[in-house]
Amino acid sequence: MSALRGIGASAGVGIGVVLKYEDAPPTYTPHAVEDVVAERQRLDAALARFREETEQLAKRMDETGADGAILRGHIAMVDDPFLREQLQNELEGGSCAEQALATVCDLFISIFSGADDELTKQRAADVADIKTHVLKLLLGVKSVDLKALPENTVLLVEELTPSMTAALDRPHVAAILTEKGGKTSHSAILSRALKIPAVLSIPGALSALENGETVIVDGETGEVFPAPDAALRAQYTEKRQQLREKAAREEAFRGKPTQTADGDPRKVYANIGTPADIDAVLAGDAEGVGLFRTEFLFLDRTAAPDEDEQFDAYQKVALAMRGKEVIIRTLDVGGDKAIPYLGMKREENPFLGFRAVRYCLAHEALYRTQLRAILRASAFGNVCIMIPLVTSLSELLRVRALVGELQAELRAENVAFDENIRIGVMIETPAACLIADLLAKHADFFSIGTNDLTGYIMAADRGNADVGYLYTVYHPAVLRAIQHIIASARQAGIPCGMCGEAAADETLIPLLVAFGLEEFSVNPASALSTRARIAEQSAARCKLIAAGALQLTTAEEVEQYLRREARQNRACGRGVKSEE
Amino acid sequence: MVSKKVTVCNAQGFHMRPATVFAGEMGKFQSDVTLEHNGNAVNAKSLMNIIAACIKCGHEINVVCNGPDEQAALDKAVAMIEAGLGE
Repeated sequence: MSALRGIGASAGVGIGVVLKYEDAPPTYTPHAVEDVVAERQRLDAALARFREETEQLAKRMDETGADGAILRGHIAMVDDPFLREQLQNELEGGSCAEQALATVCDLFISIFSGADDELTKQRAADVADIKTHVLKLLLGVKSVDLKALPENTVLLVEELTPSMTAALDRPHVAAILTEKGGKTSHSAILSRALKIPAVLSIPGALSALENGETVIVDGETGEVFPAPDAALRAQYTEKRQQLREKAAREEAFRGKPTQTADGDPRKVYANIGTPADIDAVLAGDAEGVGLFRTEFLFLDRTAAPDEDEQFDAYQKVALAMRGKEVIIRTLDVGGDKAIPYLGMKREENPFLGFRAVRYCLAHEALYRTQLRAILRASAFGNVCIMIPLVTSLSELLRVRALVGELQAELRAENVAFDENIRIGVMIETPAACLIADLLAKHADFFSIGTNDLTGYIMAADRGNADVGYLYTVYHPAVLRAIQHIIASARQAGIPCGMCGEAAADETLIPLLVAFGLEEFSVNPASALSTRARIAEQSAARCKLIAAGALQLTTAEEVEQYLRREARQNRACGRGVKSEE
Repeated sequence: MVSKKVTVCNAQGFHMRPATVFAGEMGKFQSDVTLEHNGNAVNAKSLMNIIAACIKCGHEINVVCNGPDEQAALDKAVAMIEAGLGE
């Protein structure tokens, strides 16, 4: 069978055995029941087992910093006296346990999903989850236990979810394959954070690959080779070895300052989503947190976190970073990250809609709570505030005024905070780019959010397969925007960072160095390799590469050119090493 | 039988988390506890019934308790709802 192709989302070579993980409800054939009491015992045993497994998973989620409350809600649902009564009625009416469970769950699913209320509608998905899980227990369908996988497992899923990641037996996973998800999807971010090679968006992978089949996965090129012959195996075993050696070379940069070949200092920071990610930041040796996404505090739950809960999370990160910079991005809600309990309306075009700072300024109580929590945390470390999706100076000024008011409030209450807290702008819209000079006069720093900036400049949805090819940071329009933003910041004398995926793109690093980017905020796992790449760059060479790249007219030409330059640089680097 | 009218005052109404806590507490009483809302009688000991009832912030509900510990159950229910269901 020929190679399958997807999006290479997490670099590395994995060689292992395919294991599919599917979450569809299992099928069953209803059967006649003679002994109602025995059938009831069978159902009770399955429900008891369900409670036990769910409680364990909830505990695991708590430990990883996620919220186990939703899973505990599932336990309360199966314990519900009304639900139990309905089950009993079904059993007494002659249904088998599977049928009783399905009938009662389906009843609640139809009631909840028919409700005229978003929160109630969502509960239908919870009941559906419960139904699938308990049916599997009743039928003895072995669901794959993600916590105890065989060695060298190549996990094949439709899409990798945060709850799967929480349960994942990392040391035994050789690679991850998915049918859905792009380079910037959750699946991609999660697999890179776990340092597991991953190929995403492989069309029809679940039917094309069989359980137990040996495959080679190349997370860089996005290739998957089923049933490899000995030669191919040898070739990729060698490549895997090289990658491991490269990782070992990067280890040499641990604890070293980030600087170019000429000794020009730069900074490598990390992007995080939860306080639990701090372990990865410290393990990756990043010098600060360039983007602390706060949405994750608001997701997967049923009500907004209060000030104390937010303060706890922010303080935890501020303390753990011990005086190193922590840039907290205020709630970036909306777009693809709708949070149902905030009562946001469904929008025709969410990416051009009511989101991020627009929403927060219109819901001041919510925003005040978050800003107060960040201010309180600023007493415990080096904390900065970053505003997402700014398009106008007035937005920055309004946030500044709000922070000023809250500082006065805290002062009156004798609560400690940083009087000089820095407030910066995430530059991710064409509008912000074009008025970067105006924003720079009132901002303490810039951080370029290349993921959304690329999408907005190219007017292309990264997740849409038909136009995804347009979504590329190598397009001259995007490169010019980046150059302009950095130049504007430098002219105003404020620092400029980058917190999108592009900051870790080794082919782009010479360009970013030439433009004068000071801070590269990357996935924690990429911090050391980014520092190693920066160390290879000399000002003279970067200038030449940038001049060459900016003369090119298409994204394809730019990408090929930068790749060629990176290969040459790497070859030179190895040459120098062997002479030592 | 005792009863009292109360207004739900927490922002999200009886959603998953408060409903779970509330139904759990009501389950500790021997008396039947019913929430009358929009002409429906909702079993207050059942999380699923409460969720299905879509009781939102600002809705007035009538709490009805009937049984040996009805006054204690009513006091507890009213106190929990008035305190914003722990939110």
